Parts: sequence; C-alpha cells; structure tokens
Amino acid sequence: MRRREVVQFLGAALALPFIPRRAETAIKLGEALHRRLADVPFRTLNREQQALVTNIAEMIIPETDTPGATSVRVPEFIDLILTEWASEDERAPFLAGLADIDKRAATLGASGFVDLPAAKKTELLTALDGARDDKTGAGLAFARLKALTVYGYFTSKVVDQDILKTEMFFNGYQGNVPFTPAV
Amino acid sequence: MAPMTYDAIVVGSGISGGWAAKELTEHGLKTIVLEAGRPIDPAVDYVEHVRPWEKRYRGMRNRKQLERYQPVQRHTGACDEYASKFFVNDLDNPYSTPDGKPFYWIRGRQVGGRSIMWGRCVYRWSDLDFEANAREGVGVDWPLRYKDLAPWWSYVEKFVGIQGRKEGLAHLPDGEFMPPWELNAAEARGREILLQKFGGERLITNARLAVITENHLGRQKCHLCGTCYRGCITLSYFSSINATLPAARKTGNLTLRPFSVVHSVIYDPQTRKATGVRVVDGNTKEMFDVNAKVVFLCASALESTRILLNSATAEFPNGLGNTSGELGHNLMDHIMDGGAVGTLPFARDKREVGRRPDAIYVPRFRNVKTKQKDFLRGYGFEGRAFRQGWERGSEMSGFGAQFKRSLIGDLGPWQMDFGGFGEMLPRHENHIEIDRNLVDAWGIPALRINCAYSENEKKMQEDMVVTAVEMLEAMGATDIKPYKEDNPPGLVIHETGTARMGRDPKTSVLNGHNQVWDVPNVFVTDGACMASTANQNPSITYMALTARAVSYAVGQMKRREL
Repeated sequence: MRRREVVQFLGAALALPFIPRRAETAIKLGEALHRRLADVPFRTLNREQQALVTNIAEMIIPETDTPGATSVRVPEFIDLILTEWASEDERAPFLAGLADIDKRAATLGASGFVDLPAAKKTELLTALDGARDDKTGAGLAFARLKALTVYGYFTSKVVDQDILKTEMFFNGYQGNVPFTPAV
Repeated sequence: MAPMTYDAIVVGSGISGGWAAKELTEHGLKTIVLEAGRPIDPAVDYVEHVRPWEKRYRGMRNRKQLERYQPVQRHTGACDEYASKFFVNDLDNPYSTPDGKPFYWIRGRQVGGRSIMWGRCVYRWSDLDFEANAREGVGVDWPLRYKDLAPWWSYVEKFVGIQGRKEGLAHLPDGEFMPPWELNAAEARGREILLQKFGGERLITNARLAVITENHLGRQKCHLCGTCYRGCITLSYFSSINATLPAARKTGNLTLRPFSVVHSVIYDPQTRKATGVRVVDGNTKEMFDVNAKVVFLCASALESTRILLNSATAEFPNGLGNTSGELGHNLMDHIMDGGAVGTLPFARDKREVGRRPDAIYVPRFRNVKTKQKDFLRGYGFEGRAFRQGWERGSEMSGFGAQFKRSLIGDLGPWQMDFGGFGEMLPRHENHIEIDRNLVDAWGIPALRINCAYSENEKKMQEDMVVTAVEMLEAMGATDIKPYKEDNPPGLVIHETGTARMGRDPKTSVLNGHNQVWDVPNVFVTDGACMASTANQNPSITYMALTARAVSYAVGQMKRREL
C-alpha cells in the first residue's frame, strides 16, 4: 500500500517576518467581480487580496469555451483552505507572498497587480511561474495559488462531471487504448 | 448477568476473525464473534464513489480534526477525508512508546476491522521464507513448511477470488488465480525491457490482488472505480463484510456482537483451560463474561497479545500462555518508503480505461540465487505506470488557455513508480508490554510498544532505492526521482509477531497449529503468530493459517481432546 500524503500543496514553508497588509486603497474592480464578492463571505482574504487571487486564478485557468476558475468558485475554495485547513505557518508566508506580488506590480508602475495592463500581468506571472521553487515571497505565493487553482478547478462538480465526465463503473480494464491529445 | 455460552468465541472480525467465524460455523459450531467496534452497513458506510466536491476539503483531508482525534492514524494515507471513519480515535485508544522510538499503530475497530481498508495484495510464501530463520540462526524455526500451508492457501484463495498471473517462480509460488487485468501499455513495455536486461531476475508481473475479475460466489466482478479502501458496494474485493461474515451468517450458527471490547481470557487452573472471555460493553462499559469450549484470538497482532498479557494469573504472572517468556516479543513490521519514480519515454499514444486499485509487482530478487553482502532476506516492489492527467498542472510550467487545454485534453507522459516492501527480522528486544499507567476508554490497560528498525532493514531500504533507479534507467526513464523516507515501524500496517509459533514450548507461544502451548483451547491465528514476516503482504497467510487452525481445533474437539 502506498500511503503517502497525496496532497501537500501548502507544505511547510519557511516562516517569513510578518509583513503588514497594505493600507486599504481604492482599487478598480470589474463590475461582475464587485457583484460576486459582495455576496460571498471571505474569511481570510480581504477585498484587495480577493481581487488579486481571483485575477490570478482566472489567468491560470481562464474562461474559454469551458468555465474558468472564477465561475467554479476557485477563489472561495482558496479562502476556505486558507481559513480552515492551512496552519498559521503556511498562511502567513502565503499572504506575505501576495503582498509581494503587488509590490512587484508597483515597480512596474501600478498601484497593485490588478491595475496592471494585461500584457504586464502576463509578463509578471511568467516571471513568477519560473520562480515557483522559491521558499518565500511572490514565487511561493504563485506556486501555491497555481496548485490550489488547478486542484480547486478540477475537483469542482462542474468540471468533474461535465468536462472530465468522471465515470465510476467500467466493464473491465483496458490498458492499451489508442490516444491522441486534444490540445 | 449470567455468562452467555457458545461452542466457540472469536475475538475480532477482521481478516482472521472473519475466516475463523466462517470455518467454525460451517463446521457446525455455535459461534459468537466479539467485535470491539461498531457495526458496518455497506449501503450506508461505504463511500468509494463519493467525489471530491462532495467533501468540504475536496479530499485534501480534514487536517485539524485529524490532528486532534487521530494524531497517529493520520500518518496513513487511507485515513483521509473519505475513510478516516474506518480508523480508530487515538484519544480513546492510547498506547505509549519510549522517547525517540515512535511506532505508528494503525487500527480499525469496526465489524470487518482493517479488512475494509486493507491493501488487498496477496502473495504466497515459499520455503525460502519458511526456512530462513533456521538457516540463518535468527529467531526460531517455523514449525511449518510450504507443503503444510499450500493446500490451505489454495482453499482460501478459491473462496477469496484473486486476480493474478502465473509466473512459475519457485520463490513466489503461483496460487489459484482468476484471469488478471492486462498490464497497461507502459507496464507491458517495461516488462519486456526488464526481461531483456535482467534475464528474468527482475520481473514486472501483475499485482496479485484479492479483487475479482469474474462474478464469484454472489459477488460482482470489479467495476474499476479504483478506491477500494473506502468500501465496495459490489463486494468485489475480499473483506469480512463482503465475504466471510455473510458465509458464516448463512449457516445459522453465527452470533455477531459489535461494541464488545474483550478485556481478557478467563483461565481455569483446575482444567488448565480457558472457560471463555471477559468483555467490556463498548457503550455501557458494563463487564460480562462469555463462555465457550474454544477461543480464537483474531483481534490483530498487538491486540491479541494485549489480551493475553492482560489475562495474567497466579500461574502465569507475565501473561497467559507465557511460559516461554516470548509473549510480547519479536514484534515485526515491513520496511517501505524506498524506491524511485521516473518518466517513461514510450507509449504516449496509449491510455488506460478503468482504474485498477493496484497494478504491478516486482518479486524479490535479492538473496534468492545470489547472496547480498550487507543484508539478509529481501524485498519486492509494488508499483504502477500512470499518467497524471490534470494533476500534473501544479508542477507544469505555464498558465492560461493553452495550459488549461493541455490539462483537459492531454494526460502527460507515463510515469513509473517502484516502491519497495522489505522483510524485517524478528528481534527479541522489539516488544510490547502492558503500560501500568495507561488505560483505554474502556478502562483496559494499554500497551507500551518498544520497536525500531535495525541496520539490516535500513541497508535493505537503501538497496531498494538503488535497484529501483537501475530498473528505471534500464527502461530509458528520465527525470528519475529516488526517494527514501525514515518513517517509524508500524506504518506499513503489517505488524506481526509477539506470540510466535514454534517447535518448542520453551521458546515459542504457539505450536504449529496456532494453539497456545500452555492453554490448548486458545488459538491465536492473526499476525501475532508469525515467527518471521518474509517480504510478502501477510493477510492471505493469516487466512490460510486460520482455516488450518480451525480444522485442527474441530478435529481435536471431535476426538474430545479439547
């Protein structure tokens, strides 16, 4: 029996000195986002962080001909995991890393990540995607966000049932079925 | 309350207890099975088809609850958000260990015991295993050889239903097999390559599993949902719930009493036999006795020995049946967590349909024909070739529409994992005893477990990593990741020994028929009886030993020798 911990997305990370959240600043949010955030209670992520997490999650898995991360409520899942599942040793570096992402955006001339022009957002996330092994900061936060976004997306009911069409009953096993990737 | 009286008592309803119940009742004995835990109803309790989105943490486990109530049990992967209910509450079931010497004791207290969550791998032993102790001067010689147990393996295998592939190996004898699932494209290619490069010495074969591929004795063939450890509504894998207890019930001779925590065996110094057992009701905590002509202890290795240790009398001050002084000693587990995983360069154009619960096995190849310098005995590998599908997304570069399309429409390359399972030697100093300062939730004295791996096991684990990497390299794998983890014993959940069988009452607790030398109407047929543990997964051997012991006990009863 293999009994490894299967899911360790928020595995022990190095403790970071506490970085205070930026003062609340008015941030521009899309109207739909405003509406959605208004009726869902987030417990760990503040409004700024929600906007940031939602923005990045949707960039990782965008809406195409199939739903994106936001419409299957990945940000809510991430908030739940941060609130109830993660330990303080995991949560604090993650939130500090989010702040770091905004700091990186500030060096590019915006007040925060969500205010960057689309091309700059892609540029910054591409850089962070290459820094996923970092033990702290923006790279760490992006690595966790990516893992939780992928997991939250593919384990949602809509994706599991309607897109992956997961079956429970097979009439025998086949191990040699022709396969061509659909990408 | 007046004692209840039966022909036979079986303590425990797991793999061994289920078999004892089936065999005793089918021989016409009125039998009571005393199970410490709650009843299980497949229609209500089985959760193999529950999807992640039905669980609060999507299958990522309820960590805080585990940390609070199951700080030991949580170390096993099966104690997850779906199946943690099949593992004990550690607060109710305490035990102690010396500082710096942890032992993970993973338990299931319910009707069916751990047969609900077991790994279902079933491998026979050969005389390479039975003769090892005698040959090397380790522990005591087994009072058995392959020929003694072979007919009993056949007997239980036919009832259990096993999918496996005949290989004709002398050191891993074939059993009674149903047609196996095919190897997947990558495993089949791997088998060919290893046959070429290692001349048959390192062999990829089908995992031999107690999962049926044809309808069998009222159970439906496996539907390949892939999560056996959570139950099986079609009863396709073998467990006490799915197979032996229903067979016992059919005889009309079975009484099954859940919530019955056995405290001790009651010994009569006049007759020098047991009269029955003392039980604590799991709910009311009232104590009562059950009498019978014969007692089968099948409570799991450490629990059966705990009962005997808690049954001390003036004549047996160190535990019932402990004239030898070996009761509680020679505790073993297996050693795992040595191996490697790598990415295979072939079969990208093939996929699998259906999820096999287990896939492949590499039988032992160390100390079979050649001799290792740095360790005795050997190990086998469990493994599989798999494609990660969307789960590779957290490791894969990229994001955005193309990234998403790839996770949905592609499966990633095949990966191959080999994880070793090696033999642990019996050593007197690895032992359990009663902790005089600790009781469980039912007031029953709890165990203190003293156990550690020795250099022999550690050397073996290092070798697992080396040979796993060699096999992956032979297959042309890239991105090979060796792994070795330093987990405490217990976690393989193959704990055995502590009431070993032997040829001499001076050095063993049980004779060659699992009968307590000192108290002939008490039999111990679970893992406690083992004199060594080979490297094979143990449950099918407990089943065979149990059926054999019942046959012997019934014969003795008929001849009025018990």
